[in-house]
Amino acid sequence: MLRLVLIRLAQSVPVLLLVATLSFVLMHLLPGDPAVVIAGPDATAEAIEKLRHQLGLDRPLLVQLASWLGNLVRGDFGQSLMLNQSVLSAVVSRLPVTLSLAVLAFLITIPVGVALGVLAACNRNSWIDSLVMGIALIGVSIPSFWIAIVAVILFSVELRWFPSSGYAPLSDGFGPWLRSMVQPAVILALFQIGYLARMTRSAMLDVLDQDYIRTARAKGLNEWTTIGKHAFRNALMSVVTVGGIILSLLIGGSVVIEQVFALPGIGRLVVQGIMARDYPLVQGTMLLLGLAFVMVNIVVDLLYTVVDPRVRYD
Amino acid sequence: MTQSTRFTKWMGATAVAMACAAMASGPAMAEPKKGGVLRYANQSGPGTLDPYVSSSAVELEVIHHLYDALVTVGEKYETRPMIAESYEITDEAKTFTFKLRKDVKFHDGTPLTAADAVASFERYRKISPNAVIFSDVASAEAPDPYTFVVKLNKTNSVFVDVLKSPVYPFVILPASQKDAPQRGIEAVGTGPYKLGEWVKDSHLVLKRNDDYARNPAYKGKGTDGYAGDRVALFDEIRYRFIPEPNARVAALQAGDVDAIAQVPPDLAKRFAGNANIVTQEVFPFCMQVFVVNSNQGPTANPKVRQAIEAVVDAEEIAAATGSIAKPNHSLVYSFSPYYQGDAMKPYYNQKNPAKAKQLLAEAGYKGETITLQSTSNYANFRSAILVLSELMKDAGMNVKVDIVDWTTNASNMQRGTGTWNVSTTSFCSNPLLGPQQWRTMFYTFPQVKNDKTLDSAYDKFYTSLDAKDRKAAWDVIEKQVLEQAYMIKIADIGALNAYSKKLEGWQPFTLPRFWNTGFNQ
Repeated sequence: MLRLVLIRLAQSVPVLLLVATLSFVLMHLLPGDPAVVIAGPDATAEAIEKLRHQLGLDRPLLVQLASWLGNLVRGDFGQSLMLNQSVLSAVVSRLPVTLSLAVLAFLITIPVGVALGVLAACNRNSWIDSLVMGIALIGVSIPSFWIAIVAVILFSVELRWFPSSGYAPLSDGFGPWLRSMVQPAVILALFQIGYLARMTRSAMLDVLDQDYIRTARAKGLNEWTTIGKHAFRNALMSVVTVGGIILSLLIGGSVVIEQVFALPGIGRLVVQGIMARDYPLVQGTMLLLGLAFVMVNIVVDLLYTVVDPRVRYD
Repeated sequence: MTQSTRFTKWMGATAVAMACAAMASGPAMAEPKKGGVLRYANQSGPGTLDPYVSSSAVELEVIHHLYDALVTVGEKYETRPMIAESYEITDEAKTFTFKLRKDVKFHDGTPLTAADAVASFERYRKISPNAVIFSDVASAEAPDPYTFVVKLNKTNSVFVDVLKSPVYPFVILPASQKDAPQRGIEAVGTGPYKLGEWVKDSHLVLKRNDDYARNPAYKGKGTDGYAGDRVALFDEIRYRFIPEPNARVAALQAGDVDAIAQVPPDLAKRFAGNANIVTQEVFPFCMQVFVVNSNQGPTANPKVRQAIEAVVDAEEIAAATGSIAKPNHSLVYSFSPYYQGDAMKPYYNQKNPAKAKQLLAEAGYKGETITLQSTSNYANFRSAILVLSELMKDAGMNVKVDIVDWTTNASNMQRGTGTWNVSTTSFCSNPLLGPQQWRTMFYTFPQVKNDKTLDSAYDKFYTSLDAKDRKAAWDVIEKQVLEQAYMIKIADIGALNAYSKKLEGWQPFTLPRFWNTGFNQ
């Protein structure tokens, strides 16, 4: 197990190097100048050039890339051009918001998505299947922006159940935190539930057609045991894979949900960074998100051995 | 300060806004009371509270609560002393002597002296993108603790007008901040509110400064721009940053906030029938223009630029932008001392494709591509460019529309990069402050180089000691900018705010001010 983790971590180094280089190249391919954003529209051309020099933006690109990678090796993710703080502290300060949203949405997505998928598969081609897949299709298809606006008007403006926007940190108490997070987390989960339900249904249908399920039924096992112990257990590999992907996406932050609900999370941070051409901020954040993806994938790999004892890495 | 925020409707929509404002015509006037926490939301929050590098509205609206400027602006952007008690201009406008008030204290309790003014000057000159305003300063000294003397190398008759600008404001910081890097100061000012908690991207809290020294010259005279009698009533002002306009409107409707800024008129309709919400129109707010690149491609030829100017139908364009907009041919407002009546009307709203065709023929235009660049971030900018492109096509011009993100668009305009020929933006403080604030824009955005008429008119403007001569110089400047079609005027535009009726005393201004404002219950 330890060997597996070490191998995976070693393999992640070239991946992260690639992420770092790609994010650098992509950001610098974008036209637009951070010095203009920082200096403001009233700045003279000379002031902008002076600022470009101060920020090192007038250096050759390869020199800037080497400097960025060199700093990374020393554990320095750089200093945000806009925020006057280090990239690491900018990400860390927004992590509680994104993690709150991600964990809550994940906790809603997994049971609901899996249950709906199993329900649809067990009632293949029935009205239940059509209903569940219809709901899943709606969840995947309707823009979360629209759902969020409608939900805010209904649940915040009309019914006053939840705050219309904003994040209450856990330090304000569990109740206020939960109230501020429920609405965005549920809306965020709607899309993921649709995705997970469809994948679970598909995986279950594959399993339900297998001989060992027919055998289980033939030997008189009740339906709960057949589905729960024999079918679902074998479909779980796909569910774990999809769950890992969903968690990775959630950790990356939801730009739309964070925007509508004014949540100061990582998704919004990245978008602001891109808009302002805050190169160190976007590059550093992308690298940290890449690291998070790698970690989630390692955990998923480990979970495979738990879910299916036949999976061995030695 | 240019507009980099969304605005809304011209004519037709103005009616909507007016209807909303009329519908919620405000409660019976009551005295605002001391106390309470104001919850206010704008679309984003400040990136910095360092005044010397701040030019965006969301930074400045906080900064003007935290600091006092040496001199600042009144309600119509007139010059008003603030930290200065008085000032004297001598030596043919080369020596400026500011007598400072003796009652001013920083938020940390330290008294403000001329040494702080000198240190502030030195920091400004070192780190501000606007440091050009001090490029002719020979010396800045404090001969005594309450006298600040600035000597220039050459005459600058509008030096005090330059200093009063609320953009990159020359506020006085404690001398201890003299060597603080850009964006690296402690936000210790002398203003009516002081900084409480600030969580970037989430919220910012200002607390009332109970030791604030109200300017004795303005006591009892009420609100006047960023000067006047600034009385802090709220215990706290809690700024929230809600980027999505629908969510800001919902926050006000749900009672989660007490006031919001930047309400699109279409969304203001949602307040209809809500007796507890008042809509506030700020007008004029900004001025939208087309910027024409005079340094490359077909638009390097003045006749091609003039042909573009000739096709402009300002009414149709402004209507398409969805802004609260009113026609105005001038680059300043009618209340400005530099306004010249109808003199600039011939250049405005010409709607004359026949003239354009003639100018193109004279220019020897042979169908070269003219690139119109705008942004997907601001619908009003994009719409204006799209309408202009059709008008230009009708006059026989070969037009390509290039839609990019705002940062690219703004960088291209300010640095002259990219292959654009025409773009559009809004200027907010520049038309309010006048010629000295326009200067950089006239040269930078249209990429003007070697225009001797403009150069000499500006020289005359800065060196003329008589206001009449300065106005005459501005006549030449404005005419040159419009005649050469460096910029083509579209319209003056406004903005909408909205607030709960329990708020009292909040008066519309370019940036929201919350002194002399409180709750009525």
